[in-house]
Amino acid sequence: MNQNEKFQLRTETQEGRCIVYLSGELDLDSASQLRAAMAPLMELTDRELILNLSDLKYIDSTGIGIFVSVLKARHAKNAPFEVEAIPPGIRKLFDMTGITPFLTKS
Amino acid sequence: MNSAEEKIVLRLPARSEYLDLIRLTLYGVATKVGFTYEEIEDMKVAVSEACNNAVLYAYAGHADSDGAGEMEIRFVRTPDALSIIVKDEGASFDAASVAQKAEPLHGKSIHDIQAGGLGLYLMQALMDEVEVRSEIGTEVVLTKRLVKSGELA
Repeated sequence: MNQNEKFQLRTETQEGRCIVYLSGELDLDSASQLRAAMAPLMELTDRELILNLSDLKYIDSTGIGIFVSVLKARHAKNAPFEVEAIPPGIRKLFDMTGITPFLTKS
Repeated sequence: MNSAEEKIVLRLPARSEYLDLIRLTLYGVATKVGFTYEEIEDMKVAVSEACNNAVLYAYAGHADSDGAGEMEIRFVRTPDALSIIVKDEGASFDAASVAQKAEPLHGKSIHDIQAGGLGLYLMQALMDEVEVRSEIGTEVVLTKRLVKSGELA
């Protein structure tokens, strides 16, 4: 629990869907890695873009800020975007900041 | 100095590659003091937000180096609380104007949501007290009170 985990991401493309699995700690240092990976994916308007957070251990306003910019870019292109498998500790921060309803369907 | 106060000081370059080290140190100190896992997770985010500000803004105008000013993290333990003081010696930011922008996204439309201001908002939401002092550089004082088990929160 007290071991810091290096941020990693893995992209899986399926028919009609592109799922990005985030793991480890998403902080100011790893933010550029996520931004770079998301830039080309945001242009794929013919498929749903999904961020899976099941193995994400840490996020702060830097990561939330990236989610907000992806959300806005996808919305502007009328392209679907969703965040799924949000761990409880991260969900708490999303609820606190008020971003949850923008990122999830339900 | 108050004899009931004990300090642990960490001084390091104001660069993002050291943020994980700060979180690890915080984890160790807060565990020793007796905070719960959830309280420590809250403090990790709040302290990182303060450090992010130091990394991003404090030395932004200094073209003479690779932005490698220093920041100092002081963990101050009193009998009933832990204060984490994040200090930089860079360009001061206007605390009052920042505080005004510290607001969450509740009730906003997708066009109006902005990530700016969320950092300070999270610090305030996750800690018991937040104080921003700007004199020479900036000092952010984040305090979490220790609720002893058996006591009503």
